[in-house]
Amino acid sequence: MLWLYLHFPHLLLDHVRRSRENPVATAIVEGSPPQVRQACPLAQQQGVSPGMRLKTALSLVPDLAIAQLKPSQEHVILEQQARWLYRYAAQLVLYPPDGLLLEASSLLRLYGNLDSLWQALIQAASRRQLTLRLATGLTPKATRLLARADRGQCTQDTATLTRTLNQLPLADTELEPGTLTRLRRLGLTHLGEVFQLPPKELARRLDPDTLAFLQRIQGSRPDPQAFWQPPHRFHQHIDFICDVEQTQGLLFPLHPMLSELEEDLQWRQVDTDRLQLTLHHRDGDTQTLSVCRSGPEHRASAFLELIRLRLESHPLNAPVCAMALTVTRFLPRDTPSGTDLLGETFDLREAWQTLTSRLQARLGEQALQQLAPHADHRPERAWVTTPLQRPRKPGAERSWSHPPARPLWLLPAPEPLQQSPEHWLAGPERICSGWWDGRQVQRDYYTAQLPDGQVAWIFRDVRDGWFIHGWFG
Amino acid sequence: MSELLNNLIHDARIWQGHRQTPTRQTTESTGYHELDRQLGATGWPVGALSECLLDGAGIGELHLVLPLMKRVSAAGRTVFWVNPPYTPYVPALSQAGVALSQVVVIRTSSKSDTLWTLENCLRSPVTGLVLAWPGHLANRDTRRLQLAAEAGNTSCIVFRPRQAGQHSSPAALRLDLTPAPRQGLQIRVLKRRGGWPGQSCQLALGDRTGLASTDTSRIIAGPWSDASA
Repeated sequence: MLWLYLHFPHLLLDHVRRSRENPVATAIVEGSPPQVRQACPLAQQQGVSPGMRLKTALSLVPDLAIAQLKPSQEHVILEQQARWLYRYAAQLVLYPPDGLLLEASSLLRLYGNLDSLWQALIQAASRRQLTLRLATGLTPKATRLLARADRGQCTQDTATLTRTLNQLPLADTELEPGTLTRLRRLGLTHLGEVFQLPPKELARRLDPDTLAFLQRIQGSRPDPQAFWQPPHRFHQHIDFICDVEQTQGLLFPLHPMLSELEEDLQWRQVDTDRLQLTLHHRDGDTQTLSVCRSGPEHRASAFLELIRLRLESHPLNAPVCAMALTVTRFLPRDTPSGTDLLGETFDLREAWQTLTSRLQARLGEQALQQLAPHADHRPERAWVTTPLQRPRKPGAERSWSHPPARPLWLLPAPEPLQQSPEHWLAGPERICSGWWDGRQVQRDYYTAQLPDGQVAWIFRDVRDGWFIHGWFG
Repeated sequence: MSELLNNLIHDARIWQGHRQTPTRQTTESTGYHELDRQLGATGWPVGALSECLLDGAGIGELHLVLPLMKRVSAAGRTVFWVNPPYTPYVPALSQAGVALSQVVVIRTSSKSDTLWTLENCLRSPVTGLVLAWPGHLANRDTRRLQLAAEAGNTSCIVFRPRQAGQHSSPAALRLDLTPAPRQGLQIRVLKRRGGWPGQSCQLALGDRTGLASTDTSRIIAGPWSDASA
């Protein structure tokens, strides 16, 4: 069986650098007292190296950008990589904090040969601005050791792989320090020399765990792997080196995230109509923006436009230090066809969705309303607002016929009648209803023309007060 | 002659005294023969702004646009009501034959939002008609809306107070609406593209209250007869 291991030597660094338009010297810092854990090439040129104290690094490079990450974030970031890698290989194993193993022998038929798979992975990683070290191997453990030692070769030849493994210095094998010292005292420096020792002797002189580890490297002991399954949701998280204070600064890092989403949706052949954008503030608060589209969509540009409109109308209330994009709602994709059964073209439907989504993103979802009749005799309850939806069939709805005429305008609340009407046109029509829900009305409605020519719908209630309730517009 | 001038002449945007070319602008009949005749056998301009100037609601201003609204909604195109002063009353609209699924009411909170919304609605191909109550409009705002309506080839009817009639406007059609006797509507054409303004006509809209306006005998006189006496 052939395995392929992807080692990301500075995954965190690549992750935070993605949010920057122009590269600056960056370092990942952890521990107390703070130490540099990863440094970008730009910082390394200026003398910063991993393991250095933060104070030293800062005196070397005063304008060093520093990012501090929690260990839990590393796992999330690694899963983000597994997500895109899943498109290339079905059988994936996560090796936190910075490695991914994939089973390669089943892929060779798909890609033709190992070379093209190797190149595809390297290209995909460079497109995501990731530093990548690849290695092939015959067992998972051996592959991992080779990749971490940067001794990977694009080969599936057993002899070559065994030779490379045998030449691996013991210092690179991740054995415990005590065991390493003991082996060094025995005069052993390379892995191959340890392999030649009889297993019984090894177990007696060292310990059974070390023997098991060595046998797993060689492949003489089974090493079962738990393969990773992508979750049915999309989640992308990004951390900023310095706090973002303007919405414009959020749009740039959003671009790659949305492109990733577009690609993900494209691979699953689904669409979505709901994005959730979580903004993390420095003081621990989070702000959640949910961006909705009235129809399914997968294009990054369409989502970016909506988010831009949304952010314009909702300015940031505090600087943002991290941002996450989550999608949990997936809709099956329709194939665009010329016209559907009802003679509606795809373009028109899409235009409707684009328009209403844009309006809702800027004005808020409540700003757009559709109206529907409601069976109630009380005029103010004879209609309801309904959520917006694309009308399907023109002219198919039942027309409501009210024998008495109704005005086209209804006042939000009845207003007292200030002047006496000039002409009485119709009435009275008694409406007495609502005794069951505590909002009883008993009114006599008249249609009358006021002195300035307006035709009003007026009523007299039980207490003999006169009110205007509508206009015959 | 320059191309620009030719265009202006052929599109009836420039006066030529006795020899007036009919406008090539597409129009939609208003549904009222008398009004169509006064507008030179045209109607509501499509792809342009129309203004209705009136002081108070309830003089028949919605009935003026109702035939157009009915036709547009039946054709499966959306009618947007932007910032209406009152609630469009569903039973009456439904009774008049407007497809309610095509009616969308939009309320905005600020002036800039209103203009942005109007422009977006006007430029979209799904829009059939936009009815707008934008409040105060500067001349350049009207111009923006006029351009948006031209780009989207949609009809837009803006309702404004009558005092706006004293100022010029780039709208293609401007109608001054006042109440006429017997619940009618007096319409005076303040401006129309491709013709002289100044025509006026009266529409009898008395039947909008559900009764012929002459038939007042059935009304039970309320206590008002005492109060007004």
